[in-house]
Amino acid sequence: MKILKYIQRSLVLVVALSITSCSDKFLDLEPSSSIADDEVFESYQTANSALVGAYDQLSSPAFEGLYITIMSDITGEDVMINSVDNWNWFIAVYQLNVLPNYFFADSPWWAGYKIIYDANQIIANARTIPDATQEDKERLEGEAKVIRAFVMLKLVQMFTPAYIVDKDAPSILLVTEPRKHTDEDLPRAPLSQVYQQIESDLLSAITLLENNNDKGFFDKRSAQAVLARAYLNMGEWEKAKDMSIEAYESLALVTPAGLFDGFYYRNSETIFTVAYTPEDNNTYLSIPSFYYPVYGYSSMRANDHFVDMFSKGDVRSSYFLMEPQVDEDRHLIVKFLHNQSVGNAERISIRASEMYLIEAECKAELGNYSEAQDALYVIQKRANPSIQKSNKVGQDLIDEILVERRKELFGEGFRWNDIKRKQSRFVREGDHWVKFDFGPEDNDYYRLTYPIPQSEIDANTKLSQSDQNKGY
Amino acid sequence: MTMKKIIGVIVLHFLLVTSVIAQSFVVEGTVVDNTGETLPGVNVLVEDANIGIVTDLDGNYSIEIPSKDATLVYSFMGMVTLKEKVNGRNKIDVTLIDDSKVLENVIVVAYGTTTKEAYTGAAQVVESKVLEDRPVTSFEKSLQGTTAGLHVTSSSGQPGTTATVRIRGIGSISAGSSPLYVIDGVPMSGSLTDINPNDIESLTVLKDAAASSLYGSRAANGVIIITTKQGKAGQTKISFSSQVGVASRVSDGYGLMNSTQFYEHSWSGLYNSALLDGKTTEEAKAIAHDKVIGIVGFNPFGIEDPLDGNGKLKPGTKVITDTDWRDEIYKTGIIQNYNLNVSGGNEKTKVFLSLGYFDDSGTTLNSNFTRYSAKVNVTHEVNKFITAGVSNHLSFSKTNAPPGGSQGSNPVRSAEVINAASPVYNNDGSYNWENKAIFDFNPVGLAELDLYEYQGMRALVNTYINFNILPSLSFRTTGAIDYSNNKGVNYYNPYHGNGAGVNGRSSMSRSDNMAWNISNIFSWTQQRDNSSLEILAGQEAHGESYSALSAGVTDFSIAGKPDLSWGAKPEPPGSFTSEWNMISFLGQAKYNYGGRYYLSGSLRGDGSSRFGKNNKFGLFYSVGASWRITEESWMPESDWLNNLKIRLSYGTSGNNNIGNYASLGLYGSGANYGGYPGLTPVQLPNNDIGWEKIASFNIGLESRFFNRLDATIEYYQRDSNGLLFSKPLSASNGFGSITTNLGAMVNNGFEATFNYDVVRLENFNYSVSLNISTNANKVTNLVSDRIISGTKLLEPGASLYQFYMQEWAGVNPENGQPMWYVNAQSDDQLENTNPQSAFADPHGTGRDVTSVYTDAERVRLGTALPDVFGGFTNNLSYKDFDLSFYFYYSIGGSVYNNDYAVNMHDGTQAGGNLAVDALDAWTPNNRYTDVPRYVVNGTDQGNELSSRFLEDASYVRLKNISLGYNLPNTWSKKIGLQGLRAYVSAENLLTFSTFKGFDPEGAINGTTSNSIPGVKVVTMGLKIDL
Repeated sequence: MKILKYIQRSLVLVVALSITSCSDKFLDLEPSSSIADDEVFESYQTANSALVGAYDQLSSPAFEGLYITIMSDITGEDVMINSVDNWNWFIAVYQLNVLPNYFFADSPWWAGYKIIYDANQIIANARTIPDATQEDKERLEGEAKVIRAFVMLKLVQMFTPAYIVDKDAPSILLVTEPRKHTDEDLPRAPLSQVYQQIESDLLSAITLLENNNDKGFFDKRSAQAVLARAYLNMGEWEKAKDMSIEAYESLALVTPAGLFDGFYYRNSETIFTVAYTPEDNNTYLSIPSFYYPVYGYSSMRANDHFVDMFSKGDVRSSYFLMEPQVDEDRHLIVKFLHNQSVGNAERISIRASEMYLIEAECKAELGNYSEAQDALYVIQKRANPSIQKSNKVGQDLIDEILVERRKELFGEGFRWNDIKRKQSRFVREGDHWVKFDFGPEDNDYYRLTYPIPQSEIDANTKLSQSDQNKGY
Repeated sequence: MTMKKIIGVIVLHFLLVTSVIAQSFVVEGTVVDNTGETLPGVNVLVEDANIGIVTDLDGNYSIEIPSKDATLVYSFMGMVTLKEKVNGRNKIDVTLIDDSKVLENVIVVAYGTTTKEAYTGAAQVVESKVLEDRPVTSFEKSLQGTTAGLHVTSSSGQPGTTATVRIRGIGSISAGSSPLYVIDGVPMSGSLTDINPNDIESLTVLKDAAASSLYGSRAANGVIIITTKQGKAGQTKISFSSQVGVASRVSDGYGLMNSTQFYEHSWSGLYNSALLDGKTTEEAKAIAHDKVIGIVGFNPFGIEDPLDGNGKLKPGTKVITDTDWRDEIYKTGIIQNYNLNVSGGNEKTKVFLSLGYFDDSGTTLNSNFTRYSAKVNVTHEVNKFITAGVSNHLSFSKTNAPPGGSQGSNPVRSAEVINAASPVYNNDGSYNWENKAIFDFNPVGLAELDLYEYQGMRALVNTYINFNILPSLSFRTTGAIDYSNNKGVNYYNPYHGNGAGVNGRSSMSRSDNMAWNISNIFSWTQQRDNSSLEILAGQEAHGESYSALSAGVTDFSIAGKPDLSWGAKPEPPGSFTSEWNMISFLGQAKYNYGGRYYLSGSLRGDGSSRFGKNNKFGLFYSVGASWRITEESWMPESDWLNNLKIRLSYGTSGNNNIGNYASLGLYGSGANYGGYPGLTPVQLPNNDIGWEKIASFNIGLESRFFNRLDATIEYYQRDSNGLLFSKPLSASNGFGSITTNLGAMVNNGFEATFNYDVVRLENFNYSVSLNISTNANKVTNLVSDRIISGTKLLEPGASLYQFYMQEWAGVNPENGQPMWYVNAQSDDQLENTNPQSAFADPHGTGRDVTSVYTDAERVRLGTALPDVFGGFTNNLSYKDFDLSFYFYYSIGGSVYNNDYAVNMHDGTQAGGNLAVDALDAWTPNNRYTDVPRYVVNGTDQGNELSSRFLEDASYVRLKNISLGYNLPNTWSKKIGLQGLRAYVSAENLLTFSTFKGFDPEGAINGTTSNSIPGVKVVTMGLKIDL
């Protein structure tokens, strides 16, 4: 019968479709442009790519690539950001008015913890990568530890009062291993605990790592440099001094002419650089885009009082110029240049000059004035061959070293923390469009510590409004 | 009617009416049709007895019946046979309903059709006449206000964008809440704008579980079934319609300052700023004079130093520049819509063909939309057992859509923020790029130099074969492909705006989406005398694969050539594929007893690749029942109550709209650094992610009174459980959120629809219809106590879109600083003590206020969702003219006017334009105002998020009004036409609202974001049937 044939055929069709559709693969699909997390540490190649990825996160404009660096100078007296033609970038930062719900508190916080997450995965899994050699494993773990310590140090500098003021102050969340989202949230750890972690990470990294010629990646030397910074914050002068000397050892400082190469590519004294390439530079979200007077936002200006601090013989005074066509009122800054196209610039994050200045400062603090004067002279003489070696001692010498830090390192992300770790007065004078004058005893000093982002307080069950930093 | 009358008269003449001579009971009455016209020649018979009569010329009858309990049967050609129990009545007037009306009562529902009477679910049909000839790019926009429970809102006037559609509230927090669209029986994947609204025969909106559960894991947000036009047997009909219209911005919005106002106001802002810096009045004036041009950017006047000592324009000064940037950005749009249809066939084969062209030139620079569409629908009866058909849709569309939001290249934002002192052109006719609000982004120049062009192609083909295996059993297999291919070009010119830093940038993308669907369904029907049973069982499989390719270059040798080959420096290209699959089994049973009791039940099992290992499969069911009370024998006959039906339903359905790989822990590619390829975690794993389930309860009442008034009233409750939600996480987890089945939410509300025939005369008809919908949306469970994001606070017991912000307390008359209520008792911060900055409200409310923004605690300030919304429709026809107009209303809810906040910046965006309202800023001479002091680069924070910019979102809108004329048949026949219609119509002509922006209709979450405002359109059209 015809009808029966139809029934038969349709049943065959249904059954055939059901069988093909029901295979396991049908309901287990994976995306094409990402891989499952449990596959990453099954081979050295992918694990190493994960490390590269962690650097990529670190280099993001939201962290070491731009925000933290530029904000560290804008939260200071030496430079400023324009109020106009600037798309509102960093205005609240400059006004020392960053609130808990503001982008500039939020963004570095979240970017920082993402990098820590990436690093923690590597630290936890590096030892069990099946096809990695012992050397490979140590390198992965060591570099990831430097990344973690570097980020934590930046975060405590921003979100926590200075170590020397209160080393037991509530600081950041101390995350040292991969977590599940179902794990209990973390409270703010005491500051000293975070510094202990930074110290132990870096000490471990120093033993795990060799020196590396590619300055785009952390190595033994850069671990020492970061540790020198941490010790400096802690007032551990002896240790900071030793680390700084080891960090710059055998590196040649750039020549005076080299100071005008634009800091857009690693030079002889580079210890660590954010290795942007033309393919992945961030165009407008880059240091030269803000600092260089044309082609980008071009909205950074130098304070007139700061410019006056440079003597005529100081070659670095040529970092500033007045160009009424661009800005009638304020000094432009030509320290940071674009490399051929806008924003194409590495960001030299740690260099030997800083280490010399740490050495000088530590030696001065330790009362070893003549050696401190020598270390300081290395930096001063390069910029001004005719300068006399300092004969100051005591606090005067320390102050001179701090001034030299401003002159040598402005725009490189140090001023904010230098004020804080020294508990100096915050004084903006001259052509600043928002002026301040307050010291550590004043209420306003809270402005030098950022609020814990509202998004964190809202999401973290262990934090409430009362855990917010003072003043917010 | 005239035809029927004639037939009736003929019947009368040929019938010999014999009266039965038995002394019994006499019943008399009149028979009319549903327009009230009397019907002659209607057979009136006594059931189960050989007694009959026909109505006379006036539709009257008088019949003697043997028993008072007899039943009369009224029948007439082309009308539905009607039975009436006499129950001792002497007078029975009846209304017979057109057969065609009965056909209209057939509604397309999930996997089949049913009749309105038999349906146990809540569904509403929207006829093609609502959708045809509306000057909108996609049909869902025409649905606003037409259907109770259907909330439609458009957030942008960009031609070619789709509206946000929600059925019975918002079913989900972070997964999609859009309904499932099913076209000619197959779930659709691509954009709604690809479908030509004129190809649609009808839409069915499935609202409750009994209606939609058969779609299982995709039905949680309701279903809209689209049925396209089919050919009809008989004479081939060719029809051509054309429509042309003009579109403009829906309203003028709030006023912006002109160049003089802005220049003077900037001066005062500088002056105030200097005073606050401790300068003397004289010094402050000098500073203001010196700096004002730097702030404004331009001196818009004819003289060098245009302001006097008090910062006012010197009398007689000539104004050289006064740019109305809105005039520069907005234009009159032209809408053109042409359609050609061919419909015809014979009993075996029926064909419908259509060609469509739609073009909207847009109301904003560089924003437009063009669509070409073609359709072929064929059905063919192969033999007694086999029917086959194809429904085929092809379209090509092209649109230009400038970026939105806070981007510099958003022309809408530019029009609001660039001050009027900034010229569009330099004296030499070249563009001026120097404005202070968005430096180097002259929107008029960019419209000419940049390109944001998108193209889409869509092919939607579905084919079915139906086997009538037995008279009671059929099998239908359907295979469908929904393919779309899209292409996009973003081009930034080398000289200005986004591309200037890299000497031009061009980015191109191509993507395609391939969706397939196969279903195999058996249907079995058993008819008994007094009951019927229908059973449906089958299987369905669905899959989608989306892949995209993108590439870009920078550094162009010449301008205006967006092709990639012109750029010297390639950027990293990208590609990816994303897929999901689903396998389902489904079954449904419907039982009817005596035309009075109806029962239905459905079951569906779905397995989907989207969900976590531990939760791959879900089962969904529904039960429904209805009772037609007026069909009961014990129900007394009455003149006023013609129909009464009660419906009840309950069931579950699911929501799987969470992205394709939400359960997996993933490392993504592209995290390259230093020239090496890198990987980085992009998503946290969660193997437990499962279906988001919605349980819906519905009770409905359908009724008809006096043969004039239809009323349907429903109450629904939708409980969403296991809601998919991006739960915010602490930063220690590395990510800001994770998708979890986090919470529960309930939506409930009433819906009422009334249709009333006010006048029913031969030449004049007037009917009105009103629909009212309420919806209360309440989150009932969250894993976290509260989640704050942006303007909203999510917490158990409150609406999903609950506003949460500082409460504005006005301006301190003493010093012009903004104030907010302290609200120390609010649970925003733990302490309930007043901060140091608190003081008593100088306006005498008795509450404490503060001028330190962060010292004010946030409070709950209502929801963005309306309390009540709906439509009110009027249809009039007089002879060959018809007029219809309908209003859409949305009452309640608030909107946070971000755009207005930007124009009331109080000096924080010194170079950016201001609303005229800002002129009322506080000064020592204007102490009592709601606008704080104007301080250039001030830190008062008056325009931070607060209720200062929270507005009532209620509005009433004349959504559509149209007047048409149909050429009488006799005339059109003379010129060889089957019909001719001409009409004028206007969309969104009037809006009644207190809202300050352009358009109170906006994003469903109640925030504005510089979108292209809605449009009002006036069109005229002509339709010819050959």
